[in-house]
Amino acid sequence: MTRAFLRLLARWPIERALRVAAVLGLIALGLMVGGVLAGTPLPVVFSMTLAQGLGVFACLLFGLSIAADVAARRP
Amino acid sequence: MGSALTPFGALAIGCAAVAAGILLQYLIARPPLTATVRMRLLLGLAVFPFVAAVASTGSGMHRTTEREFCGSCHVMETHLSDLEDPKSLGLAARHSRSPIMGPTACYTCHADYGMLGYPMTKLTGMSHVYYYYLGGYRSWSLEKFHAEVRTTRPYPNQNCRQCHSGTLASFTNVKEHVSLAEELEQNRVSCASAGCHGVAHPFSKTAEELSR
Repeated sequence: MTRAFLRLLARWPIERALRVAAVLGLIALGLMVGGVLAGTPLPVVFSMTLAQGLGVFACLLFGLSIAADVAARRP
Repeated sequence: MGSALTPFGALAIGCAAVAAGILLQYLIARPPLTATVRMRLLLGLAVFPFVAAVASTGSGMHRTTEREFCGSCHVMETHLSDLEDPKSLGLAARHSRSPIMGPTACYTCHADYGMLGYPMTKLTGMSHVYYYYLGGYRSWSLEKFHAEVRTTRPYPNQNCRQCHSGTLASFTNVKEHVSLAEELEQNRVSCASAGCHGVAHPFSKTAEELSR
């Protein structure tokens, strides 16, 4: 399990994953702000579901990327 | 639409703006992954978005209690306009004129009582969103909606008693309340019926329902 995770980190595309995370984060933030400003059912539902799902996924990508970066720098 | 921005809404927008600034700067400048850049990304992808998510959820939950939110679907337009009509004598309209419940009149009356009242009311509200967007209500005319759609269960008298106590003299001194005590308790007679305090939304009922 740990070895599989380390192998995944060794092959992890850090820069690309961080860019994807940043784009997903921006979409999530846009949906959250849309829900706050519009105040109608669909934007509010998306703000509390899809936006938070995308945000969590972006955060996971960030965490994995940092872990991969730290692993790559270790001697 | 909706009310003025709540403090939660303002906090969500502020945090989202800061996080978006950090992420845009990263996407445009594409800096190498130094410790400073990592820390900025932590703020832009985790800390500020987390606060924005919590605040936007708080703002969203508050918005879902406002009557403009309920009235934003076209099938609820007549309900909303009736609530806003100062001359309407419908039970719901009279209650909406109270400054305590006016802005959140739909939620105040339709939210179930008890510990699980709040989440269960929100879940039920989600089924309304489902029926509206995926169940076809969106394309229905108001006439068809009023003719065919009714509440899934009788309106619970207990919801009226959240504000109107059943133990004070103003209630117990009314002989109909005393004689119908069991029926009222078991919800077999509704407070909001034609012979009692009148139906809540009379414009949405048939002549037969109004005389029942």
